Amino acid sequence: MSAASEFLRSAAQKAADLNHRKTLRHAIDQYDNAVQRGRSRFSDWEAARQRSHEIKREAVNHLDKYLLQFEQNVKARGGYVFWAETAGEARNYVTDLARKHGVRRVVKAKSMVTEEIHLNPALEKAGVEVFETDLGEFIVQLRNEPPYHIVTPAMHLSRGDIAKLFHEKLGNVDSDDPQLLVAAAREVLRSAFFSADMGVSGANFLVADSGMIALTTNEGNGRLCTSLPRIHVALAGIEKVIPRFEDLAVLWPVLSTAGTGQAVTCYNTLVGPRRADEVDGPEEFHIVLLDNGRSQLLADPEQREVLHCIRCGACLNACPVFRTVGGHAYGTTYQGPIGSVLTPHLRGQEFDHLSSASSLCGACTQACPVKIDLHHHLLQNRRNAVAEGDRSWSERTGFRLWRWSVLGPGRLAFLGGAGRTVLRILYALGLGGTVLDPLRPWTKIRAVPKVPSRSFRSLWKESNGAD
Amino acid sequence: MEPTENPSRELVLARIRTGLAVPVHGSGTPALPRPFFPPVLNPLDRFRLECAANHTEFVPTRDPESSAAAIAAVLAELPTGEIFVQDAPQLRAMAGKWSGRSVTWSGKERPKESVQATITTAEALVAATGSVLVSTASGGRGASVIPPVHIVVAQVEQLLPDLQTAVGFVRERGILERSSYLCLITGSSRTADIEKILVLGAHGPRRLVVVLSGCP
Repeated sequence: MSAASEFLRSAAQKAADLNHRKTLRHAIDQYDNAVQRGRSRFSDWEAARQRSHEIKREAVNHLDKYLLQFEQNVKARGGYVFWAETAGEARNYVTDLARKHGVRRVVKAKSMVTEEIHLNPALEKAGVEVFETDLGEFIVQLRNEPPYHIVTPAMHLSRGDIAKLFHEKLGNVDSDDPQLLVAAAREVLRSAFFSADMGVSGANFLVADSGMIALTTNEGNGRLCTSLPRIHVALAGIEKVIPRFEDLAVLWPVLSTAGTGQAVTCYNTLVGPRRADEVDGPEEFHIVLLDNGRSQLLADPEQREVLHCIRCGACLNACPVFRTVGGHAYGTTYQGPIGSVLTPHLRGQEFDHLSSASSLCGACTQACPVKIDLHHHLLQNRRNAVAEGDRSWSERTGFRLWRWSVLGPGRLAFLGGAGRTVLRILYALGLGGTVLDPLRPWTKIRAVPKVPSRSFRSLWKESNGAD
Repeated sequence: MEPTENPSRELVLARIRTGLAVPVHGSGTPALPRPFFPPVLNPLDRFRLECAANHTEFVPTRDPESSAAAIAAVLAELPTGEIFVQDAPQLRAMAGKWSGRSVTWSGKERPKESVQATITTAEALVAATGSVLVSTASGGRGASVIPPVHIVVAQVEQLLPDLQTAVGFVRERGILERSSYLCLITGSSRTADIEKILVLGAHGPRRLVVVLSGCP
């Protein structure tokens, strides 16, 4: 099945699943309230968005300069930098590293890039045990599912679902009290943290002038992953670089406000290679800079700014399509509007259809804290897909016919009249919604409309005279 | 480890440069930066309010001696067991008040998993967000994340109004040059991954206590 028909099937199924929608709606309502409170802490939220946009624009428009500066500073601190053109290269680097150091257990902080490159299966194939340590990621890992949402991976599950899962997989859990569920996960993961040889993290920002990565977390798992194991590997897309440490005074509160509504998240950490005079921390620090299609976006005169994304998830939560079909229907690492814009660039034409899964209402653009013009990018993707020939025969013919008809009032009147007559006969025979019905995509799951007997044109003529 | 072979480095850089050579739409000049947070007028009051909101236990004291007593009171509530303390002169001076606890001083290794609490200083405090800024100088990386209870001992002079001044302070003091780890801690460890319900003590400390001396 193609990705497009899989999406249609899955979206229709999810949209009709009322339990799923209830869980999703509850989570997003909570989020909306928190963000409203969070934004009210700003005297000028628009100014903060503008400033964040400009910081990212400066970074992306001088990407080579800032990446080289970052690399130089990481190396000067004693860390290792690896540039990966493809997902495969990044995966191999990490698995080779694990092999070389005899790593048997990895603890992971939340990282969408590692999802993008499918790191976990590669590590497991190399005989390494992998623990996702963010609670939401831990839950979806136990379920053998990809994250549902880039910030809230288990957003689709109720506490009852999670209690049942923990009871099956961890044993000893007989309550759906979130406090006890968190405690059960904490116990399992504590022993993983203290016995792991390697910690894997992503990076929210790569700070060029400091040679350190910035990690934003709430649970503290990111800090344990980067403090306890012998080796720390961070993976990040090349677009994550920012020029200066001072930029974080803007980006930290903007990211957390848009992501969860918090003023700042609980732990905002800067991590670099451990210094010789320090008593704890990993012996080695590696950073993998991943391209995987991102440099192509730089060359797109309309969409370079898609690389400004700080992965806060705000556009997902704002999107009426995401709110209806949820994260898994997309079948992509990055869901919602940003995923629909980005995925065709990362994974090719097969994902062009996602740009049509939008009402173009612009809620995503309004929500974006770095002011990415998301809904126009969706529109551009549609145009590009058409230019690349991604149209069915019936769509091409239909639009040709439509163009021909609107170029002459007589033709339009004729086709309109013919259309009404055909539909009236079909619906009178009870054939609405069948394969004979030209409006089948609409009418197969909806009541057939009442077809008017006269056109707007003739009604207008009657009440306003011949003109 | 020997330097890694990395043929893709040049390739990726070349692709980036090719991409950047393409002129893009809408790259206007930056707008004049406008302030976007209201100013913090009374840092101490603000810090108190923010701590209450983010579940930090804030204990204002008059002087270091009353701080030591406040710490002893927190420790008295905890189960028996070892504590881990940053080896700093002002904390050494307070240690007499905690007799009866076995103390590991920082400087050799990270805290054991079984410690009941850690006591550290901070680089600075931030009023606008109710945060504590620590580096590896604050007892190492593990001191502020491994224990169930983290007690921070600070003086009121260390209170900075907002994040903007905090990043300026870090730069000015060269903290990133002498430390490989910096953390802005705002409240105790938490998660809302289950139905967006707040649970404290996910992986890090369940309790964060800030004992601040020099308060009126």
